[in-house]
Amino acid sequence: MNKMQKALHELSEMDELAARQSPIHSLHPAAKLITTIVYILITLSFDKYDLSGLVPMVLWPVIMFQVSGVDVHTCFYKLRIVLPLVMAVGLFNPFFDKEIMVTIGGVGISGGVISMITLMLKGVFCLMMSFLLMATTKIDSLCAALRKLHVPAMLVSLLQLTYRYVGVMTEELAVMTEAYSLRAPGQKGIHVSAWGSFLGQLLLRSMDRAQELFSSMMLRGYHEHFHYADIRPFNIKDALFMGLCIAFFFLLRYADIAQLIGGLFVR
Amino acid sequence: MHMADALLAPAVAATMYVASASAAGVSIHQLKKDDEPQKLPVMAVTSALVFAGQMINYTIPGTGSSGHMCGGMMLSALLGPYAGFLSMIVILAIQCLFFADGGLMALGANCWNMAFYGCFVGYFLIWRPIMNGKWFGEGKSAERGRIIAASIIGCIITLQLGAFSVVLETSLSGITELPFGAFCALMQPIHLAIGLVEGLITAAVLVFVYNSRPELLQGVDLSGEGEPKRSLKSVVTILAIVALVVGGGLSLLASSNPDGLEWALFGNEDGGYSTNMGLDEENFGVSSGAADTAGSIQEKTSFLPDYAFPGSESPAGTTVSGIVGSAIVAGVAILICFIGGFFRKRKTQTE
Amino acid sequence: MIEFQNVSFAYEKKEYVLHDMSFRIEKGESVGLIGANGAGKSTIMKLLLGLLQGEGKILIDGIEVKKDTLGEIRAKLGFVLQNSDNQMFMPTVYEDMIFGPLNYGLSREVVDQRVDEVLKRLDLEYLKHRYNHKISGGEKRMGAIATILAMEPQAILMDEPTSALDPFNRRLVINTIRELDQTKLIASHDLDMILDTCDRVILISGGRIAADGPAKEILSNKDLLEANRMELPLSMMGKK
Repeated sequence: MNKMQKALHELSEMDELAARQSPIHSLHPAAKLITTIVYILITLSFDKYDLSGLVPMVLWPVIMFQVSGVDVHTCFYKLRIVLPLVMAVGLFNPFFDKEIMVTIGGVGISGGVISMITLMLKGVFCLMMSFLLMATTKIDSLCAALRKLHVPAMLVSLLQLTYRYVGVMTEELAVMTEAYSLRAPGQKGIHVSAWGSFLGQLLLRSMDRAQELFSSMMLRGYHEHFHYADIRPFNIKDALFMGLCIAFFFLLRYADIAQLIGGLFVR
Repeated sequence: MHMADALLAPAVAATMYVASASAAGVSIHQLKKDDEPQKLPVMAVTSALVFAGQMINYTIPGTGSSGHMCGGMMLSALLGPYAGFLSMIVILAIQCLFFADGGLMALGANCWNMAFYGCFVGYFLIWRPIMNGKWFGEGKSAERGRIIAASIIGCIITLQLGAFSVVLETSLSGITELPFGAFCALMQPIHLAIGLVEGLITAAVLVFVYNSRPELLQGVDLSGEGEPKRSLKSVVTILAIVALVVGGGLSLLASSNPDGLEWALFGNEDGGYSTNMGLDEENFGVSSGAADTAGSIQEKTSFLPDYAFPGSESPAGTTVSGIVGSAIVAGVAILICFIGGFFRKRKTQTE
Repeated sequence: MIEFQNVSFAYEKKEYVLHDMSFRIEKGESVGLIGANGAGKSTIMKLLLGLLQGEGKILIDGIEVKKDTLGEIRAKLGFVLQNSDNQMFMPTVYEDMIFGPLNYGLSREVVDQRVDEVLKRLDLEYLKHRYNHKISGGEKRMGAIATILAMEPQAILMDEPTSALDPFNRRLVINTIRELDQTKLIASHDLDMILDTCDRVILISGGRIAADGPAKEILSNKDLLEANRMELPLSMMGKK
């Protein structure tokens, strides 16, 4: 499999996850989107040393994974992109911030270590929630929600139209890459002599494709508007879900649950 | 250069969202004013193409590693700044939503760092002035020279701006203890190299488009049917100077890997991007020559595998001079291939 | 229904690809448009649809194809593109089917009813809410035909409707075409399909009409076909 085929696989995997059924899948996309954004913002707002405050935030994604029945494994696979980056930035902290903040069993733990762990957890939590959003929401429902939330129609239509062709173009490039590598064994990438023509050829063909696509739109009377299937209205259940979630996040943010629970056992 | 959510404080993320949203608002307004209904399908197909095109590995001559392109400059040269910006937003959104590359809240920052500079700064301050200018004289080969110059200069400058913004946003968010200056010293030189590679790829593709369908490019003089009067020599001279200056910066560093933010912190591996992404404990170290310039980091980060490029097969790769040397060789090799290709194209053109 | 009166066309005013072409297609006829690559088949289609403007006169249902009649003309014509991916640009089959009719000002209820009728007629109900990027090539082609039928055009133009389909899907498409009672103009190299679906054939060569007549007659004329870079349909071989 080349990279494009892997990407296609990942795309269709997300599509399939989103097409499943669960109480989370059936929620209104706008409710899920807003909840996810609030969750991420609250997670990011924790102080870099507030590890004990941050840890309980894990509860929500865990619950969501359970209720939606989405496989955690797929999510962790996606961590491979974000996590190294976050960790790398965080890794410097222990070297610059050496002030001991906590001592556990005689071993001093510096502020840098704590802030590093906090950063990594933030990275993982945010990713899990974004992943959950996409794994339980179809792209067109999400776009419908964006439209309802007054994101400009042009941008949303462009997103949907692009998404429609991402698969087509990626597949075409996957085939081209395969054809190229069959004739260039041992080469890891496109040789410099073909830098321009490889993508350029496809680009020219794509422009013809765009022209034909536009013709097809014009022939069916296109003027500026796309019509999409309706999504169901926002109901009381969605509002309840959203309200409870956000209240829960704020509770986690302002009441240090970990400290409280810990306080029960440690003096 | 994709920022992750965790690297941003909410206030910074929100600010960047507002900034990018304003730019998007202006773009939408402009596009509506222009009222070109065929633009939307063209934008969609082009952004899908760039999305896929980002996955192509380009072999960088003389280095054994591969480069990638991100596409901001290319989009603005093909679609203009406004449509290019919106297309880039959509690409970044799809990457963030489906591939977890970037983050939902970091999207605003990513659009700014990668799309705003590439499209607006790249178009208005670099592409358009150069294309309208008189560099290299008149005729088709001069136009090609301008395309190449604008692509390379545009990519380098916009990537520098983008890298600087990444540093700024991360530092303002109070996420890293890495001093601002050291972080910059780590990021900027690497993105110089990445910018050069991206510039060369962009130039190659745009010149190809120019040769076959010049009307697809923004701001290209289509009347210039008259064949060159002089120009080739000056094209090569100026390009050589540009490449030398850039190559000089590049040699400080010797990086040729596509994604510098990761690369800076993880080291280069021949396998390329995807294998780099694994949590490879052994390769876990800063290994750019830039780390050297930031001596203070080096002192403290003694776990570094002293300057060696992890995974590098070159025995010379273990010393700073070796690194600089191989970088210059790489730079020259790129230059040679590039000029060679340029001549070949010209030859077939005139025949 | 469709009439070409002395139509000529040149790309960029250099070489003419159509020369003084005249023909007439009556209501309800099904006509196959055949010819070698570059003979001018797609140019004819594009002129008809007003995507290109040439010299001479083209009439659709008595209305001349001009800039200000385009809306009217296009509402009467349905065009099935060769590449269904370019035709099916909306996320789902359903959204593609409502795109045209809603643009022509029909109400959502009417359109929904039409969509269901068409899908039922073509036995495609299962496709309704499927994603265009997740369905097979054959399904996409049938979906594209459904998309056009939902507009209830008076005439249907098709460009290579059976290209890149497996035998089963090809047969499905052919049977579907045969059942359509609209005026049909089908451009294709698949001469067996033309033979199966059309009563009349127009053979184009070098931008001129080389032959125009009953399908069986033209498609069994080996010499005529070979002179124009075609060959006998398989089903005609061995006959005579």
